[in-house]
Amino acid sequence: TIGLQVSSGLQDLSLRDRGGRRRDFHDLGINTRQAMVHVQESKTGFSGKMIKLTTNHFRLTSRPQWALYQYHVGYSPEMEARRLRSALLFQHEETIGKTHAFDGSILFLPKKLENKVTELFSRTRNGEDVKITVTLTNELPPTSPTCLQFYNIIFRRLLKMLNLQQIGRNYYNPSDPVSIPNHRLMVWLGFTSSILQYEENIMLCADVSHKVLRGETVLDTMHSIHSQVGEERFRDACAKELIGLIVLTKYNNRTYRIDDIDWDNNPKGTFRKSDGSEMSFVEYYKKQYNIEIGDWMQPVLISQMKKKRGNIQGSVALIPELCSLTGLTDKMRSDFNMMKDLAIHTRLPPEQRQRELGRLLNYIQKDDNVQKELRNWGLSFDYKSVSFTGRVVQGEKIFQSGAMFDYNPQFADWTKETRGVPLIRPVPMDSWLLVYTRRNYDVANTLLQSLFKVTPSMGIHMNKPNMIEVDDRTEAYLRVLQQRITPDTNIVVCILSSSRKDKYDAIKKYLCTDCPIPSQCVLARTLSKPQTIMTVATKIALQMNCKMGGELWSVEIPLKQVMIVGIDCYHDTVAGKQSIAGFVASLNPAMTRWFSRCVVQGRGQELVDGLKACLQTALRNWSKWNRCLPSRIFVYRDGVGDGQLNTLVNYEVPQFLDCLKSIGTDYSPRLTVIVVKKRVGARFFAEIGGGLRNPPPGTVVDTVVTRPEWYDFFVVSQTVKNGCVAPTHYNVIYDTSQLKPDHLQRLTYKLCHMYYNWSGIIRVPAPCQYAHKLAFLVGQSIHREPNMMLSDRLYYL
Amino acid sequence: MDKNFQEEFTQITKFQPPLYKQRYQFVKDLVEKYKPKKVADLGCADCSLLWTLKFCSCIEVLAGLDICANVMKEKMHVLSPLPVDYLQPSERSLTVTLHHGSVAHKDPCMLGFDLVTCIELIEHLEESELKKFPEVVFGFMAPSIVVISTPNSEFNPLLSSVMLYRHPDHKFEWSQAQFQSWALETARCYNYSVEFTGVGHPPTGMEKVGFCTQIGVFVRKYPQTESVQSEKPTEAVYKTVFKAVYPSLKDEKYLQNAVIGEVIFTAQSIKHRLMSKRKEYGDDPERKSKLQPSMDCFPDYLGKLVVEKNMEPFISGNEVYIPLATIFSFPKVNRLCGTFEKLCQLIAGKVTLSSDGSAVMFNIEHENEEN
Repeated sequence: TIGLQVSSGLQDLSLRDRGGRRRDFHDLGINTRQAMVHVQESKTGFSGKMIKLTTNHFRLTSRPQWALYQYHVGYSPEMEARRLRSALLFQHEETIGKTHAFDGSILFLPKKLENKVTELFSRTRNGEDVKITVTLTNELPPTSPTCLQFYNIIFRRLLKMLNLQQIGRNYYNPSDPVSIPNHRLMVWLGFTSSILQYEENIMLCADVSHKVLRGETVLDTMHSIHSQVGEERFRDACAKELIGLIVLTKYNNRTYRIDDIDWDNNPKGTFRKSDGSEMSFVEYYKKQYNIEIGDWMQPVLISQMKKKRGNIQGSVALIPELCSLTGLTDKMRSDFNMMKDLAIHTRLPPEQRQRELGRLLNYIQKDDNVQKELRNWGLSFDYKSVSFTGRVVQGEKIFQSGAMFDYNPQFADWTKETRGVPLIRPVPMDSWLLVYTRRNYDVANTLLQSLFKVTPSMGIHMNKPNMIEVDDRTEAYLRVLQQRITPDTNIVVCILSSSRKDKYDAIKKYLCTDCPIPSQCVLARTLSKPQTIMTVATKIALQMNCKMGGELWSVEIPLKQVMIVGIDCYHDTVAGKQSIAGFVASLNPAMTRWFSRCVVQGRGQELVDGLKACLQTALRNWSKWNRCLPSRIFVYRDGVGDGQLNTLVNYEVPQFLDCLKSIGTDYSPRLTVIVVKKRVGARFFAEIGGGLRNPPPGTVVDTVVTRPEWYDFFVVSQTVKNGCVAPTHYNVIYDTSQLKPDHLQRLTYKLCHMYYNWSGIIRVPAPCQYAHKLAFLVGQSIHREPNMMLSDRLYYL
Repeated sequence: MDKNFQEEFTQITKFQPPLYKQRYQFVKDLVEKYKPKKVADLGCADCSLLWTLKFCSCIEVLAGLDICANVMKEKMHVLSPLPVDYLQPSERSLTVTLHHGSVAHKDPCMLGFDLVTCIELIEHLEESELKKFPEVVFGFMAPSIVVISTPNSEFNPLLSSVMLYRHPDHKFEWSQAQFQSWALETARCYNYSVEFTGVGHPPTGMEKVGFCTQIGVFVRKYPQTESVQSEKPTEAVYKTVFKAVYPSLKDEKYLQNAVIGEVIFTAQSIKHRLMSKRKEYGDDPERKSKLQPSMDCFPDYLGKLVVEKNMEPFISGNEVYIPLATIFSFPKVNRLCGTFEKLCQLIAGKVTLSSDGSAVMFNIEHENEEN
């Protein structure tokens, strides 16, 4: 069928455009709104104050009656090589014109050829005559999905014409880099871009992107790792730091992911070339690129290649000396000074961000070749970004033990307001352990004294702990835990002298699986500053209280018999490539208690099978707490990658429904599934006092920049100190709740107030953040499912 | 147009490596031998020879010329600098330019080249163009060396599928005698010497057929003089379709960046070592034992160097001082700057120095807080 041909043809086209992959990153063609009758007419809310917003979207315009003409091109006799096919076709430029996009079988033209079928005759270099048949197969309106993919390809062409360098999915300007010599980093300014059909218009969504590049080779990095950790731990440290990173090479314009390090190989080693002959790396690089490899003892990096056709897996060997690192390692991310220096360049405030974006559009507008290409296709852009009105919904009231608080919407934080107020449910610390090394004896005492000062006003009753001094070794900590924990122990507090991960992991693993007891690890360093100790102790007290099953505050939730579920995933890229899903479900009407489980996905297993089991146990627990089953279930599903929406709609949601059906024949609750996305390209700016500012928390956008085929909206819930605030995108993919959009938006915003590790509003609904925390802890430290005994507490905070 | 197609298709079993690769290798070997700084490829087509040549470290100027702009444009971006070229700018400078135009026309942008290559070009020229070709290339451009390759028609009977010519666009294909007489006449006329060779050996027993591709290497017999150039017309007729200037340390901007980067990094690592040494004498027994057996990232010579008093880094209050002389002794910094004066000049105002300007200074007050 033609439809099938179209899509397969386009995939080839996007494949040819480097970096374009077969996966559809924009989840095109998935229409979930049509099944939801109650939002058919309108999906917009109404409550809140109006606010004037501008965004980073730019209208794409085309000539009236514009269409893209799609042709199938056939060859007789059949020609195999795509380049030959192109060469033969383009001998007829006078017929088909100078403006074209051709992938070897499908041809796009901005014009309609005179006849439906055009026959052309070419001759190969061998003197063979070839008949080319160009058949019009489709006249595509500007809004067709094929056209949208086509616009994106054309736009990438334009960026290339502007001499921007492609790294990964985005394009960067190499000529004006910012260098940060302290950390040997270089930052390139670039742009992300996507062209999509939005509510009323096709628009370009463009954003400033920064690429962090490193001025050193992988070999340089290996040398410095060696000097830091020594011979003994060298290989482990290299694997930890390097595997998963993306490298650029000295000789081609490709990026590779480091998947392994082959220590038994070196540049003198040989590999088999495509013609079957053997050659050493040294010889190959000399011959092919005139590059002399200096260090012949270095190991070889391995990068797995996924061949798109036929799913053949192959691997490429790379020489560390010839590779440059891109991006940041986890270690760099945890380097406070480095991140501070980087933020100066990457966290652009709204005004500056729009200015940089303006520069890109300026390049596009000023470049003759780019303008010519656009003209030839009959396309152009509005160079002024789209403006519209959003709404700022009312702030929530915070309830804590009978008292009610407002918060300053500018800060979205109620730390000050609730200080010294009793918690909703304080959990006593009658029997607890405080474990520390000799060196940290003073620090431990300081913490204890401070806790005694801050806990009474919270309503937490605290006894003196069992103070235990240990050697600063992992085994010492574990031995103490094994010997001293009793059935009465409420919580274990460990003061650690360094942020060495292995010790932390071992403690958490033991206390989450074999011996399920809430635990709190504190770095001695955080307790060493007298001026902040009370703040720190307050935070620790609150956190411990939650870990033991306490409740801090609540907001008003008007819906009854509701269960809220949050799901997020953690993908372990280093060890075994495990995926972990955190699953968190509310237990009580106030949404102050949560049931938490996680799914550790083994090889070849589907995550959703585990999620189904989680939902079942969550419902069982909910009914135990409420003596009935919930009549409404809201699932906030985070951790969905670009292009995975299809799987969710067609596989995961039916599984959830299946699971609900299996509970009982007369049980049919209303289900709402909302996909939560934190990483979106859209940015909103409030026009305040002639300048651009971040929109205040509670800003809701459900027009203009949303997608017509979805029931979706944006909420800006958090505030940021530096840079631009990122809105969170909510896509309701399944909804039988019959709730008005306004109510669903409000419920979502309310849930962003309920994360107990932060007395303020966060980016996502609390259950998503809890699920994230849980999945992260399990993925990073525990690596298997924690003990179910802990599942009714937020032990992973 | 792709000149490599036909032999690839019919001769893939016969020539190993394929003939076009052998031709490129031949040019590369020539470049290795004569080390030209400026190289032009006439009839550069999809730029694959130029791409090969951009890795030759002696070349500082590369130019391509073709009558068909589209074929050049299709893959011209392979000639752009790579991200890594920006990250680690090279010692040499390199500019790559592509021109759209004909070898029958003179354009001043083609003057001053050391090597001009015409690989499988002349057989595509119309008679009128071929007539003008020697005057343009040998008379006007007048590079030190010209390489011309063209099919040897005597070899054609050995290529099964060739009917008349190897490619329908070929206007002629010459025998060895035809090519050699044309080449000798041209060389004589413009005062060049010429030697003949080729790639694609004939099968044993048929040696007299000659190479599949015949090649003439022309060497200019007289030295380049300024006066000759000044007489030449200056009107540009070619259209530039592509130009890329590679980042190079010859460019002060890149050199300065590289030097600042290297100086700060070197100073940081010295500081780091100094601080961890200080910590070693502290109270952390675990750390001490861990550090001892580890390899030192500093070469031995540094140990000897810092014995000299004025080169020793030191801590004073909240500040660490690392003498520039010490930093200059590091091979990378040394190689980049050449002289100590140059080092001082490049980092002036960009790196925080001590009051007398002799040492890099760091304030460590805040660092201690965070770590």
